[in-house]
Amino acid sequence: MMARSGAALPPLLLLLVVVGACFARPAAAAQSHLSALGRTLVVEASPKAGQVLYAGEDTITVTWRLNASAPAGADAGYKVVKVTLCYAPASQEDRGWRKANDDLSKDKACKFEIAQPQPYAYAAAGPGTRTLRYRVARDVPSASYHVRAYALDASGAPVGYGQTAPAYYFRVAGDTGVHASLRVAAAVLSALSVAALAFFAVVEKRRKDE
Amino acid sequence: MAEGELKPAAMQVEAAEAASKPRFRMPVDSDNKATEFWLFSFARPHMSAFHLSWFSFFCCFLSTFAAPPLLPLIRDTLGLTATDIGSAGIASVSGAVFVRVAMGTACDLVGPRLASASIILITTPAVYCSAIIDSPSSFLLVRFFTGFSLASFVSTQFWMSSMFSPPKVGLANGVAGGWGNLGGGAVQLIMPLVFEAIRKIGSTPFTAWRVAFFIPGLLQTLSAIAVLAFGQDMPDGNYRKLHKSGDMHKDSFGNVFRHAVTNYRAWILSLTYGYCFGVELAVDNIIAQYFYDRFGVKLSTAGFIAASFGMANIISRPGGGLMSDWLSSQFGMRGRLWGLWVVQTIGGVLCVVLGAVDYSFGASVAVMILFSLFVQAACGLTFGIVPFVSRRSLGLISGMTGGGGNVGAVLTQLIFFHGSKYKTETGIKYMGLMIIACTLPITLINFPQWGGMFVGPQPGATAEDYYNREWTTHESEKGFNTASVRFAENSVREGGRSGSQSKHTVPVESSPADV
Repeated sequence: MMARSGAALPPLLLLLVVVGACFARPAAAAQSHLSALGRTLVVEASPKAGQVLYAGEDTITVTWRLNASAPAGADAGYKVVKVTLCYAPASQEDRGWRKANDDLSKDKACKFEIAQPQPYAYAAAGPGTRTLRYRVARDVPSASYHVRAYALDASGAPVGYGQTAPAYYFRVAGDTGVHASLRVAAAVLSALSVAALAFFAVVEKRRKDE
Repeated sequence: MAEGELKPAAMQVEAAEAASKPRFRMPVDSDNKATEFWLFSFARPHMSAFHLSWFSFFCCFLSTFAAPPLLPLIRDTLGLTATDIGSAGIASVSGAVFVRVAMGTACDLVGPRLASASIILITTPAVYCSAIIDSPSSFLLVRFFTGFSLASFVSTQFWMSSMFSPPKVGLANGVAGGWGNLGGGAVQLIMPLVFEAIRKIGSTPFTAWRVAFFIPGLLQTLSAIAVLAFGQDMPDGNYRKLHKSGDMHKDSFGNVFRHAVTNYRAWILSLTYGYCFGVELAVDNIIAQYFYDRFGVKLSTAGFIAASFGMANIISRPGGGLMSDWLSSQFGMRGRLWGLWVVQTIGGVLCVVLGAVDYSFGASVAVMILFSLFVQAACGLTFGIVPFVSRRSLGLISGMTGGGGNVGAVLTQLIFFHGSKYKTETGIKYMGLMIIACTLPITLINFPQWGGMFVGPQPGATAEDYYNREWTTHESEKGFNTASVRFAENSVREGGRSGSQSKHTVPVESSPADV
């Protein structure tokens, strides 16, 4: 049987390599690094430090404007702003799947995009002041977060950013997913399993005694 | 086959003597064990026992490894750290270490049917409760208790060794064990698909994974009930009936225990099994997350890849068992030992390669498949040898070996895949090196009547002597050792083609009634 499976191996391996190539991720288009971007935006978010927000219920209001100390005309190329929810360092600890990376294509810390990228508008209140209201989505897990906003140019590449960290972090209490019906189902089925065993044990004993 | 041709004559003699003797659809040896293996048959009691045992064991694997493919979701729901995940992975395989040994004893004393159904039904509540956990510690606890069900492996091997004759025992054990282990692979495919289906129905992600756990739970409950309703311990009947009628001597735990722990071969096989089966369990626990995080593939893709690791069991473990039986037909027990050492060592080498090719997705998948074939075949080869180590303490030794498998899984995960100390690909490389090192003790196993890897058989040593050693003269006089004597006769082929060392010149085909 091993010989037969040995003969099938080369074509099987070839198939796997081809399948693997199809599933492999394409190389990242832009190699932008966070350290290369200027921190040209000032971002503020409504939650206070340490406040707990409930997923699916509470909202975050985010405002951003050009940093006063940024050189004039720095925002000339800014077309849209992408706002993301990022994990705080405390929530990244011992969790390699949330690790921050300077190379933005490999960064895993800022996974949740708050709405669609917003136009970086020049409003009367001041250059590039905008607000955004966001209801925390139900699939945002329980953790500590801060808000980061990237300014994107016309081609979609990041050219500037701002974030609320390290000033303060807030918590989200995520959906636990447990419902009463689940509890009932678990209890009933567990009891049934044990009862089935007891039933057969009694039947066996009766047969033995006969 | 020659055995089958002579059987009718012998059976007619026996049938005339004892009209109450059961008649079987399959050809059997003097012990009423089947001498053939009909995979697609449900013939009672041999093949029905096979199908009941592999399927119930499959369901236990489904439950024990239901969490790993869903970890990317569970870790967010419960806020797990890498340490929490590693600890739960270790817990999932550590519970079974002692329960497997206990199962071995239970099989020796009350029979595989009751022993396996009991452990399976008692652990299903843990599976159902996995749906309602809400903290890292409760996650660890449910994985710990669910893992107990893997002890049903021992009853699978014991049951097959009771139902199938030595020339087929490697194959029967290999297919039953392999198709059961398949659950560890299939579940990596099933759970993400079930999760997606439930989510499409309208559930939130964090509820959907919880509902998905009811599938393995229900399957486990139903399969155990089937074992109780339709299974039978031995070809001649269930233990309770055989004990009552006096056909089978009810052994004592003390004797069974003593003869198991004093047999050094049992300890060596426990260690080496930890580095084929134990490694398989460890990989089941980490591989989906590894592909998801290292290569950024989708959850269902990572599940598919992880599944192909476990699904190789469909052919690899039975292939190992078949190879063991074939090697035995050519070279006897020495062939079985060499086969095990070579295949398991190659598995270790491939494991090192898997850790080294982490730069390429395609190469990683390909090497992983090859690695799975070899490491699982080694499991099949191991249980081609275990039935011969002892006849009196077969259950406990199967349990020790099985338990050793879990110890290997615990150690491997503890050393290499716990917390953030090693990157996963580095851990895999070192695991491969450990496999190669811990496979070397196989060179030390020696059966006086059949030899070892580097040692030939002792002249004058016989299988009868080896198995009768486990019984005192007093017990032998009372006939308690009849099963061992029959087993020794049927093991004549383990001496290899150059001829058996048996004191009896009676070939395996005829029964004692002819002499």
